[in-house]
Amino acid sequence: MKIMEILAKDAVILNLGVQSKRDVLAEMAAALAKVEPQIAADQLLEVLLEREALQSTGIGEGVAIPHGKLAGLDRLVATFARSSQGVEFDSIDGQATHHFFLLVVPEHSGGQYLKALARISRFFRDAAFRQRLSEGESVEDVIRAIEEEDGKL
Amino acid sequence: MSGPGACESEFVVNAELGLHARPAGQFVALASRFDAEIRVCRGDEWVDGRSILSLLSLAAARGTVLRIRAQGVDAAEAVAALGRLLESAGETEA
Repeated sequence: MKIMEILAKDAVILNLGVQSKRDVLAEMAAALAKVEPQIAADQLLEVLLEREALQSTGIGEGVAIPHGKLAGLDRLVATFARSSQGVEFDSIDGQATHHFFLLVVPEHSGGQYLKALARISRFFRDAAFRQRLSEGESVEDVIRAIEEEDGKL
Repeated sequence: MSGPGACESEFVVNAELGLHARPAGQFVALASRFDAEIRVCRGDEWVDGRSILSLLSLAAARGTVLRIRAQGVDAAEAVAALGRLLESAGETEA
């Protein structure tokens, strides 16, 4: 599975101006709802917050992969947001989070969820990739970085 | 690899959804309680046992065989405890 196949390009946010976990998730959910008719922002936010309550998806290295299951969705949908100043996201290493990769999966996604998670984790564990995302000046720059990584693996 | 303070063993991932975000987080939290250096291997790829990103990148679905290698004073305890975690059924939610 390619990340470009599930990435909602028009929902990518490069300048998150918010400071809290809830606000980050609300902005991303709203952006995704605008471009994906199958997604309702408030319903997605609720699912994401429930998941965060179990354990933060801030998995270290400045990266968070918030995710949740949404009934009625017929395929995986993803988007990306970036915060230059960083957000306190209760991450496992205690560091501020700069990169948010949101993954929304159908209720019965089987192995697809694990595969998407693995692929995006493989991208993000590479410091050079994280730096490209940090330095990208436009949505196009960021999408190009993801596209190139997608082509490598 | 063997020698003083080294331990290595294979385990089968038993969580229904595989080694997804939450079990990987639990693995790292547990691994961090030991002094030993911990590596995890799938096939021929070894990754850092204290990095969620690295563990997730292995895409270890239920039934996947993972090898855990620890090096340090508490290596044997670390491998046993982490192996038990992999082989427990774990949570069913992602």
